[in-house]
Amino acid sequence: MISVEYLILGTVLSAILTYFVSLFNRKLASALVILVSSIVFGIYTYSGYSGSLSAVVELMPNFGYFKVTELGLFFTTIVTFIIAMVSFFHPLYSERYAHPHAFQFLYLLVLAGVIGVFNTNNFITLFVFFEIVVWASMFLVPMSKGVKPTITYFVFSTVGSFSLLYAILYMAYGFGSTDIDYVLTNLTGTPALIVYVLLAVAAFAKLGAYPFFTWLPDVLGETPDPVSALMSGGIEKLGAFIAVLGLVRIAPTTSYFVAVGVPWQNYIIGLLAGVTIVAGTFMAIRQDDAKRLLAYSSAANGGYILLALTVGNTVGFTAGLFHIFAHAAASTAAFLAIAVVSYRTKTSKISELGGMIHHMPITYVVYLSAIISMAGIPPMGGFISKWLIFQTLIQNNMIFLAIAAFMGSIGSFLYVFRILAGLFLGQKLPKYKDVKEAPILMLVPMILLTILSVVSGVVPTYFLTWIARVTTSLGYPALATSDLQIVGFNGVLDAPMIALVFGVGVFIIFILFLIFPKSRKVGLMDTYTAGEFIYTEELLHYSADFYAPLERLYREEPFVRKIYASIRSKIMELGDFVRYYFFTNKPEVTVFWIVVVLLIVVWGGIL
Amino acid sequence: MTAILIGIGTALFGFALQTTVAGINRKVIGRLHKRYGPPFYQEFLDIFKLLSKRAITHGWIYDFGVIMAVGGIFATAMFMPVTINWIPFVGTDNFFIFVYLLAVGMLGMAMSASGTGNPLASIGVMRALTQMLAYEVPFLVIVAIIIKVSGTSSLSGIMEYQQANQWFMVLLPLGFVVGCISLLGMLGKKPFETFIAPAEIASGPMVEYGGKQLGLLFIMMEITHFIEVSLFVHLFLGGASTLIGFLLKYFAVYTAANLYSWLNGRFKIDQVVVFFYKWILPLAAIQAVWVLWR
Repeated sequence: MISVEYLILGTVLSAILTYFVSLFNRKLASALVILVSSIVFGIYTYSGYSGSLSAVVELMPNFGYFKVTELGLFFTTIVTFIIAMVSFFHPLYSERYAHPHAFQFLYLLVLAGVIGVFNTNNFITLFVFFEIVVWASMFLVPMSKGVKPTITYFVFSTVGSFSLLYAILYMAYGFGSTDIDYVLTNLTGTPALIVYVLLAVAAFAKLGAYPFFTWLPDVLGETPDPVSALMSGGIEKLGAFIAVLGLVRIAPTTSYFVAVGVPWQNYIIGLLAGVTIVAGTFMAIRQDDAKRLLAYSSAANGGYILLALTVGNTVGFTAGLFHIFAHAAASTAAFLAIAVVSYRTKTSKISELGGMIHHMPITYVVYLSAIISMAGIPPMGGFISKWLIFQTLIQNNMIFLAIAAFMGSIGSFLYVFRILAGLFLGQKLPKYKDVKEAPILMLVPMILLTILSVVSGVVPTYFLTWIARVTTSLGYPALATSDLQIVGFNGVLDAPMIALVFGVGVFIIFILFLIFPKSRKVGLMDTYTAGEFIYTEELLHYSADFYAPLERLYREEPFVRKIYASIRSKIMELGDFVRYYFFTNKPEVTVFWIVVVLLIVVWGGIL
Repeated sequence: MTAILIGIGTALFGFALQTTVAGINRKVIGRLHKRYGPPFYQEFLDIFKLLSKRAITHGWIYDFGVIMAVGGIFATAMFMPVTINWIPFVGTDNFFIFVYLLAVGMLGMAMSASGTGNPLASIGVMRALTQMLAYEVPFLVIVAIIIKVSGTSSLSGIMEYQQANQWFMVLLPLGFVVGCISLLGMLGKKPFETFIAPAEIASGPMVEYGGKQLGLLFIMMEITHFIEVSLFVHLFLGGASTLIGFLLKYFAVYTAANLYSWLNGRFKIDQVVVFFYKWILPLAAIQAVWVLWR
């Protein structure tokens, strides 16, 4: 019998084993990580969905309280899959890490923590595993560059962790219980609202929503490339899990915002999610570093997830869950594609790269599919969730949130194209003439993720029945589908038909294209230059300041960064004060303390 | 299967219709300039001439992008209902398909243009995308109102609703204004033709094309215009119950847009964004609050 406990302990043991193996042979240890994460994903998913996964606790009494729920199954399946996919990058990438042995160990520790977080029925257990994930991933962050991103990650994670901890302690104090199901179903009145807000803060901090979204680019832009993919596709989804616990399972009874048919607190969370979408999108548009750009886009997509979850109906909930899945697949694929480019060229700056499509066509196709999904264009998974989100927004008359969602959706065309045009297309720069396609080991996960994106967009109903298990288990009816069509509030979506018609269209044009005379191949430098004579590729490559006219229209830094900077400088001043008066050996301070001590000794009795 | 055949017919019809209308419009503009203008079938001649010519290619992405662009747009046109009785995909001609499947075509073209390695093409694409960010948001807000009021996102359903009630041109006067201006942006008519700007960036995305690739992109442009003008007719002007009605409305809308565009100069691209976000988006939001939050 396979139990959650054995899976977690097994993963922890293999993490320790991997560390020692890594001391002797690094490649073997990386292979072990791939093996373990794939096997854990396989065993968990198989036994979970066949109903044979038990939650019995034998070895960790009074600590491990496990429960296999549909929600937990959904999240664990996605995140363990992403972890398994990213692990394929380790064998070749681990040479770049500062501490390759610890890396393998921590990576598997994250896996163990993730299983624990999603499969427990006790808030304390949840918190402990949550912290295991946070701490293990925190040490993954500084593996390539400095410690600065780690500090940022730590600070923002702490906000989330403390908020979660306060919520847990508050509930434990109020109910004398930390049982998740019991507490969440019995919360009413003001306590419910307090817990709602605290859990929302935790979810916002973890998911990188406004006003906490600045950590995503600062951290994801600086970590080792596979860790960025893991964070964006996997660890960030912990925030979405907390959001489901808070926003969907607690319904504080407060007054309704009648015009849009949701409670006020939901609408406020929705507005913040809308701000996240717009701010994330517009900041992503102006990034030059591909990883920072994708990190901002992760923030924007987190906004879509939160927005969908706040609406509080089946379509919204389904849309949120589908978006979690679609974004995990697409964003991981995009990050991995950039990781490959940066593995080969040692940079991820768009303005320094160009013409990568001629060196790595498969990576290009992977990235293209990923961005089609991220931009919500059919026939990819991202379109389905965007369509469902638009359905709920229109149904609930959420005008201003709809504006934010539309802006983010159209804006995503802009930022994903910036990477496409500057990094992959354009002139073939001579300094990268020896760059080759990614190694096969790296192509495997990217291709698998691409296939997943396509399949989820073409036949979404299979995935929707999977999601319907989660929604029904939490009391929402399953989303209506008929055959392969999805039935929304105001229309029917026939995704396979769209894909088929698209195929027919492309096929017809392809035939036409073949009929007409064959073209002569010329080089990329053989272009129209309006009478100028330009012989260097760099001068003919348009990639720096891609959206310059648009970028001029808004300020460089989002509003919150200033506040964070000022908080930071206040804390630094406090630190300076403390250091000056307690930790220096300057004579004037020594004299000052001597005088103070003497004063106390002499006149202490009077005081 | 029959739906797909009808769809292919619709796309071909759309191409023929728009190319003819565009040809007639060249004549109209000619008369405006006190000259005769080319024959109305001139556009067909141009396209077929280009298709038969031998041209250059800049590599596989250049060709693949063109095929994806024209294929995507062709597929989008296949979903387009023409009249109340001419509906290729009954019930599933969802509005969002038009917006997002159109985007596939646009992406294909943008990809191909950037793949030529010509910076003017990339600048053109950058401008086209920026302009899209400007006009698409207010337009989508108005469409959201239309969907909510009519209770369906199916284009043929919206048509039926208007024929049973009132045209959305009347129901949503502010929305109609937004729709008109967004249509100019979509069609790339002045003052919103910054991304083509022939004298400035040498036709932008199109700069490197010739021969069959350019011919196919012309076909794509004509079908795109067909989709955009038809969307406008179906969303605001009540669609059509007969083919004659559709043709008349179609011709009127396209010609009005074209004539208006000849009265204008060209905005700079940042002016386009500011114009839409400062004036048109609030207008759309006011219309939405007025109708939906009453």
